[in-house]
Amino acid sequence: MAWHDVASVDEFEVDAPKVVQVGEVPIAVFQLDNGFFAISDVCTHEYARLSEGFCEDGKVECPLHQACFDIRTGKALDEPAEVDVATYPTRVDRGIVQVDL
Amino acid sequence: MLVGNETDLPYDRPPLSKEILLGEEQPRGLMQRSHDAFAAQRIDLRLGTHIARLNATAAHVETQTGDLIPYDSLVIATGARARTLPLPIASDPRVLTLRSLADARALRGHLRLGLRLAVMGAGLIGLEVAAAAARQGCLVTVLELADRVMARCVPSRISARIESWHRAADVQLRLSCPVRDVRAERDCLRIATDTDDIEVDLLLVAIGAVPNTELAQETGVAVQDGILADECGRTSAPSIFAAGEVARILQPSGHYKRFETWQVAQYQPISVAHAICGVDKPYLDLPWHWTDQYKHNVQIIGDCGLGLEWLEREDAEGRLAALGVDPDGRLQAAILIDNGREVTPLRRLIMANRPIPRERLLDAALSFKQLHVA
Ligand SMILES: Cc1cc2nc3c(=O)[nH]c(=O)nc-3n(C[C@H](O)[C@H](O)[C@H](O)COP(=O)(O)OP(=O)(O)OC[C@H]3O[C@@H](n4cnc5c(N)ncnc54)[C@H](O)[C@@H]3O)c2cc1C
Ligand code: FES
Repeated sequence: MAWHDVASVDEFEVDAPKVVQVGEVPIAVFQLDNGFFAISDVCTHEYARLSEGFCEDGKVECPLHQACFDIRTGKALDEPAEVDVATYPTRVDRGIVQVDL
Repeated sequence: MLVGNETDLPYDRPPLSKEILLGEEQPRGLMQRSHDAFAAQRIDLRLGTHIARLNATAAHVETQTGDLIPYDSLVIATGARARTLPLPIASDPRVLTLRSLADARALRGHLRLGLRLAVMGAGLIGLEVAAAAARQGCLVTVLELADRVMARCVPSRISARIESWHRAADVQLRLSCPVRDVRAERDCLRIATDTDDIEVDLLLVAIGAVPNTELAQETGVAVQDGILADECGRTSAPSIFAAGEVARILQPSGHYKRFETWQVAQYQPISVAHAICGVDKPYLDLPWHWTDQYKHNVQIIGDCGLGLEWLEREDAEGRLAALGVDPDGRLQAAILIDNGREVTPLRRLIMANRPIPRERLLDAALSFKQLHVA
């Protein structure tokens, strides 16, 4: 496990995630009311990048077939996806948001 | 008890005309569950079992092998079958249709570099097959009666865009091209059109679906291109419900409509289950379906019927929103290309059902989400 930089805190906008690629794994990092949350950027239904989906109220919708995931827990909330997405720990270090992988 | 005449475990159909044809054996999108998953829900799953008759008076169904299955409530969810070619050649092994996983695997078994494939019908399934086959190196010709592709569900400018993807992949699109005859020759099929004959190795017939209403019809349940059902899935017969694509569902407008979409199979049965338990939970979802062709995703929401004026918003990356507005300025339908992020905001704008000035609809500085809140 290691911490990877995502972006500085002030680069984040509400409902607009930042994506980092750690090795093979693309990770989407969202700013919500109570902090930063990181999930795998790849939908568990087929293949689409969740960071390109609509997000609101702590949920993100897949842009391809509208499966819905909880950004805090990674939980799959609506069909057609049934498998949760992975979540990753985040922290803020000297103004930089980081994700642990 | 869940009874079905296919032998495969239940699955979602969308990957059949996409990932399966591209060679994936078990794409994630099939969503196939194990026998154990059904058992865990206390569902007695009977595969490979065809229901031959329904006796509504005695409240039982009869399988093809003569077993009687009694019921308190019966849900008819028999879906639809592919419409076949109305010619004797339809039974030739080189003439295929696509509805089931078995059909998809059979079709994939034929696809190879240089195969001459004709696809009859430029609807969603025909075009998805054309896209997958072109990517596998087949020489694809699409034959369509109408003068544009997907004429049933999108306006002409969207058809033109979709046609351009296929042309770029060297798919021959023959529009306004009725098939007059298909003849078997020793080493090819000969398809006669008004202008010439086309020789191919394989013909996929993708000319629509026919709802499997026979069981209902024979018993006197009201049927009219689908089993007529109210918003909760009740049919004209007590204790008999219709679910999914076979149902023709009462709309708020007072008309009945049948939907050939994953959405209706996923969500309308929830209303049916409530109705069986005596709870009214009308199915009122805004119609929505998608198609994936090449690298593109197209999503269609609302009713794209006639009488709408179409406005378009497109960004620098080619993400498109086509907006169908009625004469009162109300948004009735939308088509999104590679722009799935806007589905929910636009669905809300359509549901709000209020006139929106066209300058605002076209103002790229205003997101659809902002428009809804405003
Ligand atoms: C190739 C293909 C691709 C598609 N892609 C998309 C897409 O990308 N997006 C989208 O929104 N929609 C798509 N659809 C549409 C969607 O899959 C269908 O609308 C959906 O499958 C309907 O589900 P259903 O359960 O109502 O019926 P079905 O899926 O047809 O299921 C009915 C089942 O009942 C069985 N049956 C019928 N009669 C009997 C009987 N007498 N006894 C026992 N069993 C019987 C049938 O064999 C079948 O297994 C696609 C459909 C196809 C065929
Ligand atoms: S790929 Fe995400 S819902 Fe289908």
